[in-house]
Amino acid sequence: MPSHDPAGPLARSATCGGCGLVCDDITAVVGERGGLERLIHTCSLGDAWFAERVAPAPPIARVDGREAGLDRALDEAGAILAAARAPLVYGLGQTTCEAQRAAVALAEAIGAVIDPAGPLLDGASGLAYQTLGASTATLGDVRDRAEVVVVWRADPVATHPRLFERLRLPDPDRELVVVDERQTATAARADAFLELPADRDVEALWTLRALVGEAPVARGAAVELPLDELAARLRACRNGAILHRVRGHVEALALHALVRDLCRVTHVVAVMLRREANAAGAEDVLAWQTGYPAAVSFARGHPRASPGELSAATVLERGEADAALVVGSDPLEHLPPAAAERLRAIPVVSVDPRDTATAAAAHVAIATAAAGVHRPGVVHRLDGVPVPLRAPLASSRPSDDDVLWSIAERLARRREAPA
Amino acid sequence: MLRIASGSVYDPANGVAGEVRDVCLSEGKVVDDVPAHAARIDARGMVVMPGGVDIHAHIAGPKVNAARRLAPEEHRGDVVDRSAVLRSGTGGTVPSTFVTGYRYALLGYTTVVEAATPPLAARHVLAELRDTPIIDAAFLLLMGNNLALFDLIRRDTARVRDAIAWWLEATGGYGVKLVNPGGVELWKRANGNVTSLDDEVAGVTPRRVIDAIAGAVHELGLPHPVHVHCNNLGVAGNWRTTLDTLHTLEGRRAHLAHIQFHAYGGRPGGRPRSRAPAIAEYLGAHPELSADVGQVMFGPATTMTADAPVSAMLRDVTGGKWVNADTEVETGCGIVPFTYRERNYVHALQWGIGLELFLLSRDPWRLVLSTDHPNGGSFLSYPRLIRLLMDRDFRNEQLRRANKRAIRSTVLLDDLEREYTLEEIAIVTRAGPARLLGLRDKGHLGAGADADVTIYDERADREEMFATPRHVIKGGRAVVRDGELVETFAGELLRVTAPYDPAVEEVLRAQFEERYSVQFESYPVREQWLLEPARRIPVGRPA
Repeated sequence: MPSHDPAGPLARSATCGGCGLVCDDITAVVGERGGLERLIHTCSLGDAWFAERVAPAPPIARVDGREAGLDRALDEAGAILAAARAPLVYGLGQTTCEAQRAAVALAEAIGAVIDPAGPLLDGASGLAYQTLGASTATLGDVRDRAEVVVVWRADPVATHPRLFERLRLPDPDRELVVVDERQTATAARADAFLELPADRDVEALWTLRALVGEAPVARGAAVELPLDELAARLRACRNGAILHRVRGHVEALALHALVRDLCRVTHVVAVMLRREANAAGAEDVLAWQTGYPAAVSFARGHPRASPGELSAATVLERGEADAALVVGSDPLEHLPPAAAERLRAIPVVSVDPRDTATAAAAHVAIATAAAGVHRPGVVHRLDGVPVPLRAPLASSRPSDDDVLWSIAERLARRREAPA
Repeated sequence: MLRIASGSVYDPANGVAGEVRDVCLSEGKVVDDVPAHAARIDARGMVVMPGGVDIHAHIAGPKVNAARRLAPEEHRGDVVDRSAVLRSGTGGTVPSTFVTGYRYALLGYTTVVEAATPPLAARHVLAELRDTPIIDAAFLLLMGNNLALFDLIRRDTARVRDAIAWWLEATGGYGVKLVNPGGVELWKRANGNVTSLDDEVAGVTPRRVIDAIAGAVHELGLPHPVHVHCNNLGVAGNWRTTLDTLHTLEGRRAHLAHIQFHAYGGRPGGRPRSRAPAIAEYLGAHPELSADVGQVMFGPATTMTADAPVSAMLRDVTGGKWVNADTEVETGCGIVPFTYRERNYVHALQWGIGLELFLLSRDPWRLVLSTDHPNGGSFLSYPRLIRLLMDRDFRNEQLRRANKRAIRSTVLLDDLEREYTLEEIAIVTRAGPARLLGLRDKGHLGAGADADVTIYDERADREEMFATPRHVIKGGRAVVRDGELVETFAGELLRVTAPYDPAVEEVLRAQFEERYSVQFESYPVREQWLLEPARRIPVGRPA
């Protein structure tokens, strides 16, 4: 509830979308003119996240780089997507579930490939999940039950700054082990740090499986590491957690296999440290509407999925996509170079509250009210828990979902109108 | 306005069993009459029933979605194209949300209960239900392994009732579900479980949890009584645990979920046997109790349950895909894709026990049809199950194909000649579930009932008849015409209104600060798009 001190500013509850943790204990102090004065409980990433969304807003709509009315921009967006033979819908991890539902409906209507940015940003455990399954838990259970916490190939002190605060780590009664290629800020807080070269995940994870299963281990290079001790710790705990950002399918498969083996001995869960606030929601919405969490094509009128073949980067690199709708994402900053090059060559519609490199280069850029700052909405935290975003500030601009539904309506009208 | 003219009407709640008469609909309700100019469906030679009501299925939420993501191979071969009317999607044992709504409607079902919602995930469940068209849906909240409630049960039992009402209001829930009370908490700690109702868990016992929560639900007067998935599911000899649970509940209303899975004799770890006759006998003698069967059907299934230790056991049976997902404070979850095979002793026994329970049941109003979709099989297998119940020759032929030792352990070969009548089918698939759920406007065709109607061509092959209704009307609107989906729209959320003393919020706030990883303020669902359209069902003492 907002508390109002007549002499001072308003304190409003807020939720931060700065990373996958989605901290919902934020207070936004709002000045008399409705501006954001101060944030309480945010970390550096959170401050940056709010700052990017309250910065002087880009024009509400631009067409070919020039300021335009919203209606015209929506018409142009509809025209681009209607004309495309192989459109791509991309991003979604920083917008709400409400907007993700609209994006999937739109992708279906235009026969697009839709792929959330998550698999590219967060590594890929999708195929490993489909092959083996998983054991996982929500953050509260990791905090209250895990006696051993292993951070594998992640640096949450930098990427999820409040993770350890929320998990109440370090803790003298619980063990924190970090496995990474170099001494990171996260490693500095660990009880034990294992330095593992970047290309040795599979070898190390497979060796751990053998040790956990008490199978004979050929003494290969990975065993220079004190893996015996880590395996023994995991075996001995009653409840353990592995927090990770493994890259690559084979690494993910090895990690899932290790967790599965450990589960025969004790209670072990793994949690992927997704970066974007609603990366989990993007996969969830796609999965409930289509059966698949990523890399879905509607080109044949029904959902088909094939990670790799139909993922955004591949579709761009092969030169197949001939138009793109990018929602709440800046792919020119994170796509592989060949894919980014293709994205620059095709018409792009950007829907984003921020002024990104992708928006600046887009044929149509619509600057929306920001979810979590100007609009409420639901996101699924990195562990899948749905959390409400709030709207501490006001804005007259439309939300991401308003814009996406408006484009969808225009497309429907085009189809109904006589040629 | 619509007149369904001259069909054979089965409306057991109103004592109508196959009489040829008209059913009139207006403004979403059944009415006594409509003017002569109203639209008509000529239902001569057809069977008219209320829309189907599924009392126990798993159709929405994080557990269902985790299972969807696990089975791309099932989706590839079973797709639904986008059309002017339909959103696209995929099927298999765990269909996408749109397809779930379409296929329930095409089967003549218009109301479905999602039987296991982690309260923390209510927004996710509600969002999926929003994307599950046509059917009205309600969900049951998992409360049998909730550490905050355990604490109240231990220290402040009088508050349990208010806490449950708060939880229902905060989430939009309809009723209360217990799943392996206490056992799941031990699983999350260190892969443990309970084996009896008197095992100690976090300062309580399963018996105390069952007693306190059943009592609270009873006192609240919720329209549906406590819905219990007993301890020791699937374990040989578990019929004793089931009877012990029923003794603990005695005198209070309760609904036992998928009781087939809880009707096994034998010794733990040994070969299970059928104890269906004893369970059927007990249920028959206790009018305050009800159950759904949880029939196993041969073929593909996906097991998904809050009873995570059971899933770990199934993982060791299949050696295949397995998901475990722990939800803080509240519950667990396990998923294993599974195929029931007629030659397998245990699978055939489970199949046989389900049929025994149906055929020995004395009161169809209190033992209703389910496959615990998709645990015992997809809801799409209901028509086959109906044929097994209605067609003795078909059943006997199927019996001969199943594992012989398993079938000999049942009483199915002992002159169980019973064949369900159409009236009894109408009871176990709509009138009974609606009554057990306390949904007064569902499951019947009396004036004032919801205009949810299914019209079947009368056919000798009951499987074909029930698989392909000719017409389905939901809320007065024709959604299926001549076997085709012609219109779709959002169904309603059915939620309960149970008053509580607001003082309980401060007690719960303290629990939240200690135990949850979300803020107390974030927890209650307030988003209108998730909660509307909805219908509120008030509490009240059952007559």
